[in-house]
Amino acid sequence: MSLVSGPGRAGMADTPVELQLFVDKHVRYIQSLDTRKDELEYWLTEHLRLNGLYWGITALHLLGQPDALPRQGIIDFLLSCLHGNGGFGAAPGHDAHMLYTVSAVQILATLDAFDEFEERIKGGRKRIGQYIADLQDRETGTFAGDEWGERDTRFLYGALNALSLMGLLHLVDVEKAVEHVHSCANFDGGYGTRPGSESHAGQVFTCVGALTIAGRLDLVDQAKLGAWLSERQLKNGGLNGRPEKKEDVCYSWWVMSSLAMLNKLHWIDGEKLTAFILQCQDPEGGGLADRPGDMVDVFHTVFGIAGLSLLKYPGLQEVDPVYCMPRAVTKRCLGK
Amino acid sequence: MASHGVARVSGPNASVRSEELRQKELKQIAAYKDLVDLVNTKETQYTVEVLGLTTKLLNENPEYYTIWNHRRRILLTLLPTGLVQDSPPPKPDPAALDIVNGDLQLTFALLRKFPKCYWIWNHRNWILEKGQSIFDSASALTLWLGELQLVGKMLHSDSRNFHAWSYRRFVVARLELIRTRTPTQQSLTESEFEYTTKMIKSNLSNFSAWHNRSQLIPRLLEERVADSAARRKVLNDELALICTAINTDPFDQSIWFYHQYLMSTLSPQCAPQKMIVRDLSNLDRQKYYAHEMEYIREILDDETECKWIYEALLCCASCYLEVDGGTEAFTTLDMREWLRELKRLDPLRKGRWEDLGRRLDI
Ligand SMILES: [Zn+2]
Repeated sequence: MSLVSGPGRAGMADTPVELQLFVDKHVRYIQSLDTRKDELEYWLTEHLRLNGLYWGITALHLLGQPDALPRQGIIDFLLSCLHGNGGFGAAPGHDAHMLYTVSAVQILATLDAFDEFEERIKGGRKRIGQYIADLQDRETGTFAGDEWGERDTRFLYGALNALSLMGLLHLVDVEKAVEHVHSCANFDGGYGTRPGSESHAGQVFTCVGALTIAGRLDLVDQAKLGAWLSERQLKNGGLNGRPEKKEDVCYSWWVMSSLAMLNKLHWIDGEKLTAFILQCQDPEGGGLADRPGDMVDVFHTVFGIAGLSLLKYPGLQEVDPVYCMPRAVTKRCLGK
Repeated sequence: MASHGVARVSGPNASVRSEELRQKELKQIAAYKDLVDLVNTKETQYTVEVLGLTTKLLNENPEYYTIWNHRRRILLTLLPTGLVQDSPPPKPDPAALDIVNGDLQLTFALLRKFPKCYWIWNHRNWILEKGQSIFDSASALTLWLGELQLVGKMLHSDSRNFHAWSYRRFVVARLELIRTRTPTQQSLTESEFEYTTKMIKSNLSNFSAWHNRSQLIPRLLEERVADSAARRKVLNDELALICTAINTDPFDQSIWFYHQYLMSTLSPQCAPQKMIVRDLSNLDRQKYYAHEMEYIREILDDETECKWIYEALLCCASCYLEVDGGTEAFTTLDMREWLRELKRLDPLRKGRWEDLGRRLDI
């Protein structure tokens, strides 16, 4: 089951003025991704299968088409990526890693499949939680991606994301994790990959997301960070990830979801951003790209659709800015 | 998966590959899958032969993280284990040195093609750490000095590469750690500070360099054991540098963020370890704020359409009011005027400017 490869290849150079979301095209685009086995790209992106599945399923749920992919097939595939230690690999035969384990948990949550998972793997949920918890360095509060030890605030966010969805946050030292995130704060209010690193919209999302899950947004310099985030919007409406960089649909999501967590989404122009995201669609083959006229992929497709949902584009399911999942799902898991 | 900046091919036949191309792609797929199968069937064989196969596969697909893991498992059996505590530093085993250098070359070649691939950076870190644990400190120092040179080259070709800047800080920290065990000079803070000056002078918009500068200044002052006069000199020099930059290009946001940073260190609320000058009186602060506002207002004579000027004026004004509510350096009317200009010039962030007006109560 793959939803990763397969950039769209069609498209018109000129986009119509009155833009709309091509829901059916995007659904068909996502459904088509697993049928591209005669393209080399399909095989070269095997290391992203599980992430791709999360992106595709989330996009479909936000589009209001939760049944567009076969539920049973997805769960079977998930189980084929599970290791004995409770971690998930990107695909069968790939080593376990935090990034895929988080995607697996998000998929199980979205499909409301935790009970079914538990039936098939006894004590499975606890085992996943333990795999994640064991990746925390209890001295520093940081998380490694896997046994090879790379540490990054992305993994810390992923850990809190997955554990909170499973109700297992108590397995880790949340306070230490919060301290570490706080030590990554910069003078501009933003956050980097580790203490001392330059602020970067993707890392801001992970750090603000982690602090939101931990209930510690009081540690954020909200006025400064809000200002820095709002300056990511460029004249064409799109948002970039750092000063003097180009606009991009994925960065647009990380910036606007962070603004939403700080209750400052009104600090940017939502109408212009909506128009920018819609221009990134491939009106023929479906899917969204990083910016208008580029190749589409499922990664930018989900972040584009999630962005439109946050901007209250009509007809979409509400997205949770902290988890990038349907709000109805996180409400069910978190009980709030 | 996440393609960036790849133009979409348009036209009715764009999605149809010629039969010839299709056949060619199918052959590539078959060859690639054969290689993957070959490596995976030998997953438990920790030999030089399989190491060579992983090299081949990683050259085709450096994102295949499981193969990097496999490579490390092989390397762990081929390399000697770490130093035994208290034993005299051994001379590096030539075979081990070859292996470490081989992986440095492999990751270097791959990083040139894929400078943003996390897994390659990750492996390079790992092999260096491994090398450091099995070599004497002179050889380890040589390894990390090589890294500093390499990262300098990478930043020369892309001065904003996020990974490269982060890696630079990491390498510097490693070098400093090794040097604490040798009689040479330990800290690289002064030379790193110089490096940011060089990078800024070649491109004022290099926010990465400005950021690093803000990280280095507190350490610099600490290591110089700077007294009040020396600290004031650093602050004045930084303000002069940023003033020149602002006059050169007032539309560059990197510069204004750095200006905001310097202003924030003046505030009585600034954490002591982040202050540049630690014994500022409120009168000192007023002088600094007034001076900044004065020259920024002068730019308005030639440039009325730059929103950053109005934002900076409002920022300085609100700082000023915190230490002297009765100042006559500017009026509430001035502040209202600056806010009006901000709303006119920057309609994208209208909501923010409205919130600011409410917060400043003007
Ligand atoms: Zn992107």
